Amino acid sequence: MKETPLSNCEKRFLLRAIEERKRLDGRQSYDYRNVRVSFGTDYGCCVVELGKTRVLGQVSCELVAPKPNRATEGILFFNLELSPMASPAFELGRQSELLVKLNRLLERCLRNSKCIDTESLCVVAGEKVWQIRVDLHLLNHDGNIIDAASIAAIVALCHFRRPDISVQGEEITVYTPEERDPVPLSIHHMPICVSFAFFKQGTYLLVDPSEREERVMDGLLVIAMNKHHEICTIQSSGGIMLLKDQVLRCSKITGVKVAEITELIQKALENDRKVRKEGGKCGFAESIPNQKITAFKMERAPVDANDVEEQAEEIIMKADPPLDVFAKPILWTPGTAQIGEGVENSWGELEESERGEEEDDDNDPDTLEDPKMEMEDVSIVSKTKKDDTIVLSDSEEEEVVILKPEKVPKKTRTPTSSKQENSSKKVSNKKRKKKRVSY
Amino acid sequence: MAASGLSAEVDVGQVVLPGDVLLLPAAPNADGERLRLGPSSAPRGRLLCGPGLRRCAAGLLVTKCGLLRHRPPAGAGTGGGAYWVDSQQKRYVPVKGDPIIGIVTAKAGDIFKVDVGGSEQASLSYLAFEGATKRNRPNVQVGDLVYGQFIVANKDMEPEMVCIDSSGRANGMGIIGHEGLLFKVSLGLIRKLLAPNCEIIQELGQLYPFEIVLGMNGRIWDPREVISTPQDWIHQQSGLLHLFVALSPNLGTGAFL
Amino acid sequence: MGSEPEPGCALRPFAVEQGLLSRPDGSAAFVQGDTSVLAGVYGPAEVRSSRESPERAALDVLLRPKVGLPGVLERSREQMVRRACEAALLGELHPRSSVTLVLQVVSDAGSLLSCCLNAACLALLDAGLPLRSLFCGVTCALAPDGAVALDPSARQEKEARAVLTFAFESTEKRLLLSTTRGACSAKEVEYVRDVHGTSV
Repeated sequence: MKETPLSNCEKRFLLRAIEERKRLDGRQSYDYRNVRVSFGTDYGCCVVELGKTRVLGQVSCELVAPKPNRATEGILFFNLELSPMASPAFELGRQSELLVKLNRLLERCLRNSKCIDTESLCVVAGEKVWQIRVDLHLLNHDGNIIDAASIAAIVALCHFRRPDISVQGEEITVYTPEERDPVPLSIHHMPICVSFAFFKQGTYLLVDPSEREERVMDGLLVIAMNKHHEICTIQSSGGIMLLKDQVLRCSKITGVKVAEITELIQKALENDRKVRKEGGKCGFAESIPNQKITAFKMERAPVDANDVEEQAEEIIMKADPPLDVFAKPILWTPGTAQIGEGVENSWGELEESERGEEEDDDNDPDTLEDPKMEMEDVSIVSKTKKDDTIVLSDSEEEEVVILKPEKVPKKTRTPTSSKQENSSKKVSNKKRKKKRVSY
Repeated sequence: MAASGLSAEVDVGQVVLPGDVLLLPAAPNADGERLRLGPSSAPRGRLLCGPGLRRCAAGLLVTKCGLLRHRPPAGAGTGGGAYWVDSQQKRYVPVKGDPIIGIVTAKAGDIFKVDVGGSEQASLSYLAFEGATKRNRPNVQVGDLVYGQFIVANKDMEPEMVCIDSSGRANGMGIIGHEGLLFKVSLGLIRKLLAPNCEIIQELGQLYPFEIVLGMNGRIWDPREVISTPQDWIHQQSGLLHLFVALSPNLGTGAFL
Repeated sequence: MGSEPEPGCALRPFAVEQGLLSRPDGSAAFVQGDTSVLAGVYGPAEVRSSRESPERAALDVLLRPKVGLPGVLERSREQMVRRACEAALLGELHPRSSVTLVLQVVSDAGSLLSCCLNAACLALLDAGLPLRSLFCGVTCALAPDGAVALDPSARQEKEARAVLTFAFESTEKRLLLSTTRGACSAKEVEYVRDVHGTSV
């Protein structure tokens, strides 16, 4: 799907407004949009809203073997996905350049800055370490994906609790959350990315560009910093030429913004911790507003199922009787059974060449189809019913045994159980040149 | 689910959901499951079935969620009036005769491809401008805004638009100027603004004089340039929507989102 | 943490929000107990010529899990949701266009497929697409002792002998979709389906 193109007058207007130091949503040049953090019931799950840009983050962990050259360190894995819901331009497999760029930036910001203590993730040196996996999903794209994603990643990592373990000699015991409280990750510092959009060859800059501003910008400068004013990553893209004092000014602004955002994150984490300790309700149900016209909540709803039995019997009596229920399978040979008669052939006459290939005597094309389909039906059933191994061979020389092709009256198929439907597969032990559709 | 036995006046103006069946008055049915609609007397002539409603065996099937509206027949005995569902939507579906604002995306020989926000791009012939001839082509660039109306718009064909009316005059249509701001709102808001005697437009006009172009595809174009003086002008632009909502309490909610 | 319904017929507390995302044409978040699904719809929009159909809109459903890449389970659930949506959507009104429905699992604590179906229906409604009827999904778990639990949590689903999901349409409570995991008798299926009918 294509995105709505940006018209010339919009471009001109935005650039003019930026020259006048005005932004469409009324912010100042150095203002951030509102950041809102909400947590889910699982540990490590959070949704971050930066204005209208929304990112979902989830952290999970797994015990794996460590990398051979880093035997005592845990593994960190980051994955940012641009969901097709976020923008009509994001299609599966189409937005690779932007995706690679964002993922790389995120990795540099979080992994190379050593914000997580990987040594503490080691369980048994050289054998078992924790692999921490951070999955980020962009849900709505309104500009500045990287900032929202970095906030979501660090919040999710701070919120996450991994299972407690104890090592006794060769044995590792992993405790469930019920047995022992899960343990938080050891995080040294919280790096947060701040983006600056540049316009008119570096003359004007804006912090936290919205989606429209991103479309008309010349270049982007991203600085990742923690609250101790240490720069973790700095990247400039778009080919703009920046002066030294511009970069210094940006880093000063970054320091201020990061301090604000870090404080907000700490407060949100503290709130969530308090709510969980008191046993209050937490999770996304709480983040849905109560008094909004587009939202609705309902408490537990008991369902009256007392008179269902009578209703069910009534319905069954009123309903048409099922057609010819074949309850018992007919066993032909061990490993082959038949239920029902199959459907009427809807393929019409077989062609001459096909008919000549068949090795049976029956030349009637209609009944030829029925037993074949029965066989297909049969082998499906036999797979699910019997435990004998069934040899399927693709050999074209294999003889096809037709099960006594009687002139069966044309009947519609009996309703099969859902199990049969779910397990239908393509059966390959047929001597056929053409492919038949399986059902 | 449907309420049984409600009088007609209450039905009109109520929220209806997809799947509800509205009975035509000519076929009164005592089935409690269905809504009754229409005034007590059976309509004479044709009953217009508007957006959000479809003919089905028993009556009218509601296909969109929204408020049921009714327009009584104008004049005596000419048709049974019209019913439609007022629903809110962001995506536009081209309808013949709708005035829309489009963005030119490509020039392909004799026609321009215009993005109107629908499922397909509309085509606009270069001769469909006032005073355009083969020698005198209009000066349209890619990315320009055009204001026109659809002459062909149905679900099976590519929509076609023109910037002249039936007599060949522009009548306000054509290329919109190169300055100003375009923004996107929901379709319901546009319909409210285009309604005759819209209170918002009147009250806003008393606050400060303005001139805007409204496209039925949810686009509004405001021709004013950036003024260097008050900051509140930008607030006005972005807060236009909020201003609308604040000024008119009785226009109902849900249509501005 | 979380709400565990007692065995019996009661739906967990649920919450709905529509129109919460600014980019998609329609969006809805559906929360059932601790299970939460976010749905976004784009449509009717441009379609690739390979998917174009001259009769109806091409409906695409994408289900994205929270952790890891989508696998076979997601694909099968996508197809189930797609079939239920196609039955309700009036695709004939928008031929040669595409409707894309993206479902994102925000948290999974049981009854995921029915939560997806509910979120899908509300998102289609929010987008203003023409529908023949509304539809909804309900899950139920059959415990080994035969007790029926509606809207099961993750623990109940794991312990259950069979988990059934149904989708019903709103006008005549007809069945749109029925899927089962596990073994149960036909009579139990009938009973469960009627219980669901009343809960719808």
